[in-house]
Amino acid sequence: MNDDILLAVENLSVALPKGGDRGHAVADVSLSVRRNEIVCLVGESGSGKSITAHAVLGLLPSNLSIGGGAIRFRGADIAHADEGTMRGLRGGAISMIFQEPLSALNPLARVGDQIAEAIVTHASPRPSRAELDARVLELIAAVGLPEPATLVRSYPFQLSGGQRQRVMIAMAMSNNPALLLADEPTTALDVTTQKQILALIRRLQAERGMGVLFITHDFGVVADIADRVVVMRGGRVVEQGSVDEVLRRPKDDYTKALIAAVPGSRPAAERDRHLDGEPLLDARGLNKTFVTAQGLFRPHRTVPAVRDVALSLRPRETVAVVGESGSGKSTLGRIIMRLVEPDAGAVEFAGMDFLQLRGSQLRAMRRKVQIVFQDPFAALDPRQKVGDAIARGPMAYGVPPAEAIADAKRLLARVGLEASAAERYPHEFSGGQRQRICIARALALKPMVLVADEAVSALDVSVQAQILDLLAELREEMNLAMLFITHDLRVAAEIADRIVVMRRGEIVEQGDTKSVFTSPQHPYTRALLDAIPGRSLFAGPEAAATLDVMTA
Amino acid sequence: MERLKTFLRHPTGMIGLVILMAVVVLAVLAPTLFPDDPWEMVAAPFQPPASEGLPLGSDMLGRSVAAGIAYGARVSLTIGVASTLAALCIGVTIGAIAGYFGGKVDDLMMRITELFQTIPGFVLAILLVATIGPTLTNVIISIGAVSWPPLARLTRAEFMRLRGREFVQAAVCQGQAPMVVALRHILPNAISPIIVTGSLTIATAILIESALSFMGLGDPNLMSWGLMIGASRTVIRQAWWMSMFPGIAIVLTVLAINLVGEGLNDTLNPRISRKARKA
Repeated sequence: MNDDILLAVENLSVALPKGGDRGHAVADVSLSVRRNEIVCLVGESGSGKSITAHAVLGLLPSNLSIGGGAIRFRGADIAHADEGTMRGLRGGAISMIFQEPLSALNPLARVGDQIAEAIVTHASPRPSRAELDARVLELIAAVGLPEPATLVRSYPFQLSGGQRQRVMIAMAMSNNPALLLADEPTTALDVTTQKQILALIRRLQAERGMGVLFITHDFGVVADIADRVVVMRGGRVVEQGSVDEVLRRPKDDYTKALIAAVPGSRPAAERDRHLDGEPLLDARGLNKTFVTAQGLFRPHRTVPAVRDVALSLRPRETVAVVGESGSGKSTLGRIIMRLVEPDAGAVEFAGMDFLQLRGSQLRAMRRKVQIVFQDPFAALDPRQKVGDAIARGPMAYGVPPAEAIADAKRLLARVGLEASAAERYPHEFSGGQRQRICIARALALKPMVLVADEAVSALDVSVQAQILDLLAELREEMNLAMLFITHDLRVAAEIADRIVVMRRGEIVEQGDTKSVFTSPQHPYTRALLDAIPGRSLFAGPEAAATLDVMTA
Repeated sequence: MERLKTFLRHPTGMIGLVILMAVVVLAVLAPTLFPDDPWEMVAAPFQPPASEGLPLGSDMLGRSVAAGIAYGARVSLTIGVASTLAALCIGVTIGAIAGYFGGKVDDLMMRITELFQTIPGFVLAILLVATIGPTLTNVIISIGAVSWPPLARLTRAEFMRLRGREFVQAAVCQGQAPMVVALRHILPNAISPIIVTGSLTIATAILIESALSFMGLGDPNLMSWGLMIGASRTVIRQAWWMSMFPGIAIVLTVLAINLVGEGLNDTLNPRISRKARKA
């Protein structure tokens, strides 16, 4: 059995430079990967899971180094191996795939050449051109890319995100590695693509008997792919075991909390919120086409982002707009915010056509519709104090500064931060705290409608759950109608009264949350539901019903 | 504070700062060090350096070269800083308007900028000074008028980059007026590269001023380095010191400003600094 162990990390410690929030990036981490096995390394951001994987390949940032412990690959310690040995291993016996396939590929080289380069680097003697071409085509076919012959000649920007990740996988497979390190390879992808990539990794692993160390933050993905699970927190391993043991009978409190925080794993809240009344916001016939010039002699590229979309929002109602990237859901949100001007259509809001307003009238109405953005790091002005960021809005509408600041402090306390946070700058806060600040900023203007554009997508699951709870409380307190834009059906199920599914700029299905989940009408909705990772494991009462419907 | 400390640890930036401070001190103390008017004939003409009371010698008319350099420092620094401020006012305003509003406004602003960029800057400066007359103010205006296009393009690029950022959009959604959004949110985040380019513009402005004075187009009432070189160029074989020392003054000042600018760049834009790239 022991002969089967490919990779053994023993008591690995990596020290952080002085002045960090803790002494070690990873401390005393031990784990092993056997042949023909997928081990998932799970943890939230900052847990040290990526550092562990990078340490295996000797790819630590220059200010970090291995402090203690050993990394054994096939029995030989590679923690302190020289650069030449490591170069031989990287891309050879151990290969790695990354989260963002666009930045991991050379934008100016054809994908076929990049795959060929990966082969040539480790092949001696150098294979002939014909052998090389045949090998590249074989690899491209193996990762399920269409039309290998044309694909080898394309550039990375001509491929979709999923196709790029397949190219990355083909490169990683080029030398038949014994061990594959996969660092969040599906996090940047849509759910349906994610499902295909997971299946591909599973298949390649089984065919080749590889060991895979798969890093992820998503327990749904873990449930779908892992044989064994290692849970990390704050640089330490808190629990490890087989996927069944860890996910169904977690022993550690932290693991339990993480699993409980996975959206969709909790029992659905009481959905009947007694919503009635006339629509507060009524959008009709919205159209927006983006036109990009492509050089002098080529026709302009037109992308219809939103096509004939009609959407209404009743007072206090939460509508989730769900779709994959490129479905036009964010453009729709931005049209409603008047950040993007549509080509045609009307948004009736409080008896006026919001899209026709100009100048001071528009500014007067803007406060009624507020937005929370996806990336809490980009959404706050780095040079503005938090209290100022929140109070500026009301002050722009004539609230005296002292009163606005006092209100801002009250709001900060309400969203779960200290009132003293008002005097600090955004960089002093974590992602979740910043998102709370963004919510406080939006609510300072006492809006009637809140647009949440992927507001929890960039956050760790446990933080995600807290923010969702906060939003759910605040919408009751402030009688908010919410337009919740998300790619994650699990999140939509947690908070929405009604779900609108978009695809390629069009609404393909809408209905109340329960009926969309239990009896989806459109095949695309069914495909989306089917692609939710970890469905089997987290099947709650409602989802189980869905499964029955779908298998029936 | 953090950035100040980083700058103080930047070796070449500090060398530049020390030289620059020396030039500034020289300019400020000129009336104390050399109580006589620099135009005054104080000695016999053509005295070599280190003569009695003439550390850097005298020129064809018996004026002290050292006094000329000290008073010339005042003119060079004044014109350098003032014309850069003028260029910043024009460039940042035009760039900000173009970058913030985009579309047709942007097209119009950029065509104007390109108009200025297609005319060689120095020729335009000569033309302007020759037309409106060589006074200190006019020289500043002329140099400012030819130095702003790069600043406008830079400001425009920064504004376009920041315009789409979410914190700017959030400010727009809060109902803040365009002017407030531009001044309070975009400009403070765009200021670092503008400061760096601005500091390098000072060096260029000093060079243009020297060249104008060399050609006799400087303010005739002010002693300036370019003027000194221009006047003594015919006797450079007999009296090298008359043109050499003002020349060294120009080189040192421009070098110092460039070093400071480089240091500022490494401190204010750590991500694109050369040090970071080496690491």
